[in-house]
Amino acid sequence: MRPQFSIIFFTTLAGMAQGLLFFVALLNIEEPVLSAPFLSMLALPVSFILLSLGLVASFFHLGHPERAWRAAMMWRTSWLSREVIALPLVMALTAITFFFVISGMVPAWIWAALLISIFALWICTAKIYQCIRFIQEWSHPSTLSNFILLGLTSGGLLLEFLLMVWNGSNVPLGMSFISGANFILLFLALNLKLWIWRRNQKLKPKSNLASATGIKGNNIRQTSMGFMGGSFNTREFFHHQTDRVIGNIRKIILLMAYVGPMILLAFAMNSPNIVQIAVALLMHYIGLLAERWMFFAEANHPQNLYYQRVS
Amino acid sequence: MSANKQLALVIDLNVCVGCHACVTSCKEWNTSGSAGPLTDLNAYGASPSGTFFNRVQTYEAGSFPNTQTVHFPKSCLHCEEPPCVPVCPTGASYKRKEDGIVLVDYDKCIGCSYCSWACPYGARELDEERQVMTKCTLCVDRIYSETLPESERKPACVLACPTSARIFGDVHDPESAASKAIEERGGYALMPEWETQPANHYLPRSIMETIDAARNDK
Repeated sequence: MRPQFSIIFFTTLAGMAQGLLFFVALLNIEEPVLSAPFLSMLALPVSFILLSLGLVASFFHLGHPERAWRAAMMWRTSWLSREVIALPLVMALTAITFFFVISGMVPAWIWAALLISIFALWICTAKIYQCIRFIQEWSHPSTLSNFILLGLTSGGLLLEFLLMVWNGSNVPLGMSFISGANFILLFLALNLKLWIWRRNQKLKPKSNLASATGIKGNNIRQTSMGFMGGSFNTREFFHHQTDRVIGNIRKIILLMAYVGPMILLAFAMNSPNIVQIAVALLMHYIGLLAERWMFFAEANHPQNLYYQRVS
Repeated sequence: MSANKQLALVIDLNVCVGCHACVTSCKEWNTSGSAGPLTDLNAYGASPSGTFFNRVQTYEAGSFPNTQTVHFPKSCLHCEEPPCVPVCPTGASYKRKEDGIVLVDYDKCIGCSYCSWACPYGARELDEERQVMTKCTLCVDRIYSETLPESERKPACVLACPTSARIFGDVHDPESAASKAIEERGGYALMPEWETQPANHYLPRSIMETIDAARNDK
């Protein structure tokens, strides 16, 4: 598939906000671990801004953004439609939580509702891809696990950074604990990504030219796709990059999204330092942009079987 | 299969000569009909690009000297279980109950392209200029027309085909020419592995068997 930058920004920004909100809600649902000023002045506004930026990015995906409201109509059948409902729901619950925080006390059910909405949005986002059964790279539960894990890693790193901005290393939980937790999450996410890449490599396409055309006989090949110019079909479903570029982007993903931040976090466990965490967060986000780019690039669409020879 | 009508095309690969008359007649009718315009970008430039509902592709099979060239028209297959319809977030994509035609309401389409991702056949094309998803309508504005002579109330591609490679009819009606062709000549569906149940069918080439038989006779 052609990587869609609007969706790359939407899923990474919203995923990071969801991860941040997840940890904030989890830490505060029993008793307030994070202070109210930190929540009202930093964590919740930052989450809301990230979600808003994601929403804005998603509009760039549409040919007719002025009709976007219609996209909430078909929630009975379409995961995209459900996502269009879930995103504003998370934003609304973030705003409601904010007002509870500034008015004093946040009831546990608000945190619980926020947690549920965060997961609902993750499920909707991942299912948009996972439900397309003939894109075999996407049509697997690991799509959802990967979206959630990378939301947690980016949100966890962002929380660590915000806590350091707020009160240096004198935080309630201890910076080394948070660094350790983020390290473990990154380690899990890295292993999942490597497993997904191995799975993708081993996938056997269910469709081939014989099933796509029904032509009897061996050695079927296309001699003409029927036109010499471009079309939507030749643009939308392929990344148009060489194998070498793809291989290099894989290396960038491993380094920037996973290994680099893990090394920085390993150092941060002993001597927490805001610069280290800021660099780790930035690296991780850039790596995530590349990871999401690759998520599209490595998805093979069976329609490409019909578009192989220009003549 | 429901008892409702399911209009479809049955394409005879024995007689398609790859002339592209169906491609141009489809474009001509639909660009000026209710589905249009099907815009062309950079039409006279170095890399032209345009929206088409129908393409004729060419394939080869076998190895020399027993090779065959197959011309293969491809358009929306109007699946009985269209994967492109339930994913549409706005309801712009729909399958008509009365005749099974899969259509797009261009006034509701937000141009998100999700339906095109959900079609394994690449039958949908986003019109670059109008930014809405477009696809074969089975010439829905011809086949029910009351102003056209009755003999012309067929899809433009069917009328244009010089070898009558395209049979148009109701594949749920066992008495239709389309159903009979599928039944008698082993009509098959594309990519059956995805269980989309395409309504359009293809009639396999039997000429290779004829050629083989002639060879063996010598």
